[in-house]
Amino acid sequence: MSVSGGDVRNGAAVTRSGFLKWLIGIFGVAAMAGVVYPVLRFLKPPAAVSAAIGQVVNVGAVSSFPAGQLTAVIVNDKPAAVQNLNGKYTVYSLICTHLGCVNGIAGDTFKCPCHGSEFSPTGTVTHGPATLPLPTYHSQVQNGSLLVGPVDLGRAAYPTWYKGEFT
Amino acid sequence: MSASAGPVPEQTPSEAKRRKPGLIGWVVNRLGMDDLMEDQYNRVVPSHASNYIYCFGGIALVLFVILTATGIMLAVYYQPTPDTAYQSVLDISTHVQFGWWIRSIHRWSAGGMVLLVFLHMLRVFFTGAYKKPRELNWLTGVALLLITMGFGFTGYLLPWDQKAYWATKVGTDIAGSVPIFGHFLLVSLRGGEQISAATLGRFFDLHVLVLPAIIVILLLGHFFMIRRHGISGRL
Repeated sequence: MSVSGGDVRNGAAVTRSGFLKWLIGIFGVAAMAGVVYPVLRFLKPPAAVSAAIGQVVNVGAVSSFPAGQLTAVIVNDKPAAVQNLNGKYTVYSLICTHLGCVNGIAGDTFKCPCHGSEFSPTGTVTHGPATLPLPTYHSQVQNGSLLVGPVDLGRAAYPTWYKGEFT
Repeated sequence: MSASAGPVPEQTPSEAKRRKPGLIGWVVNRLGMDDLMEDQYNRVVPSHASNYIYCFGGIALVLFVILTATGIMLAVYYQPTPDTAYQSVLDISTHVQFGWWIRSIHRWSAGGMVLLVFLHMLRVFFTGAYKKPRELNWLTGVALLLITMGFGFTGYLLPWDQKAYWATKVGTDIAGSVPIFGHFLLVSLRGGEQISAATLGRFFDLHVLVLPAIIVILLLGHFFMIRRHGISGRL
C-alpha cells in the first residue's frame, strides 16, 4: 500500500504492480467485509427469542369477544382471530395458508388481500388459491379469560411459516 | 510505518536491507524472526508435488480453521441440555441472523473435512510417502483421522433430534461390543447405561474442548515433521 501510495504522491505513473496491489487490497477488504458483516449480525441476539414462542398467552376476558364475530388478537407476535360461537371459543391463525399473507376479517369469514383466498367461518377454503384450511390454536377458558397455546397443525403438510415458530 | 525514504544511519548495508517495513515488520524485527521467515518463504515446492492431489491435506487444514471459527460462533447460542438443545439449534437456523449460514458452513465443512482427510491419507499411501523416515508422521496422521471421525461422531449428537439419538445409540452400542473393555467404553461414553443428559454433556465436552485440544497439538507435530522431512520424493 505504502509503495503505490508513494508513486502517486510523487506524480509518477502508477506501476503495474502498484495497481495490482491496490486491486488485491480492495478485493481483500470486500471479502473481509463479506465475512465480518454476517459474523457481527450473528452475534447480535435475535429480537424474537424462542422463550416467547409457543407460550400460553392470555388474550383477554371472554367478555371482550362478542358472539357471532371474529375478533383480531395477537398471539406470540402472530396475528390471530377469536371466534365466539355462542360461548364456544375458537382461535384461528390469520396467516393465509397460501403464501403467508395476513387475512382480513370479512364479517364471520376470512379473506386474503394478496391472492383472493377465502375461508369459511370454520376455517375451510371456500375460494382458492389456498388449499389448506386455516390452522387453529389450542385454547381454553380459565377464570373468565381465554388462554391460547401453540398452533395445532395436525398431520397436514402446512407451510414453514407455521412450523419452527411454534414447535 | 512506510518505507523510509533516506538511508538509515548507524547500520551496515546488510542490516538496512534486512529491516522490514510495516506492522508485521515491526514484530519480525523485534523478534529476530527474519531468518526463520526467510527460510519458510524460500522453500521450493518440488515439481512433482505441484499437483492438486498434494493439496488435500492443506484443504483439510483450511476446513479445520473454518470449522473452528464457525464452531465458536455456534457455541454462542447452542445449549447442551436435553430440554433446550433441539430448540436452540432450531433457533440458530430460524431466528439468529445468518445463523442458517454459519450452521450450514459448519455442517458442510465437517463432511468435507472427513472426506479430504481420507483423500489425503490415500494420497500419502499411494505415493508411498509414509515410508522411512516418515513413519511417525503417518502414525500422527492416523491419530488425526481418528480424531476427525471423533469430531463427526460427537457433533452428530448435538442437535438432539431422532437421527442424532439413534445414531449415538448404535455407535455407543458398537463401542459396547468390544471384548472385555466394551461395557466400560459404553458407560464412559454415555455417562450411564442409557443415553441421557449426561451423554449430551459428555459429547459436547469432547466436541468443543477435548478433541480440539488434542487435534491442535497433533497438527503442530504433523506440520513440524513435514518441515523436518520435506515433501517426499517422486514416485
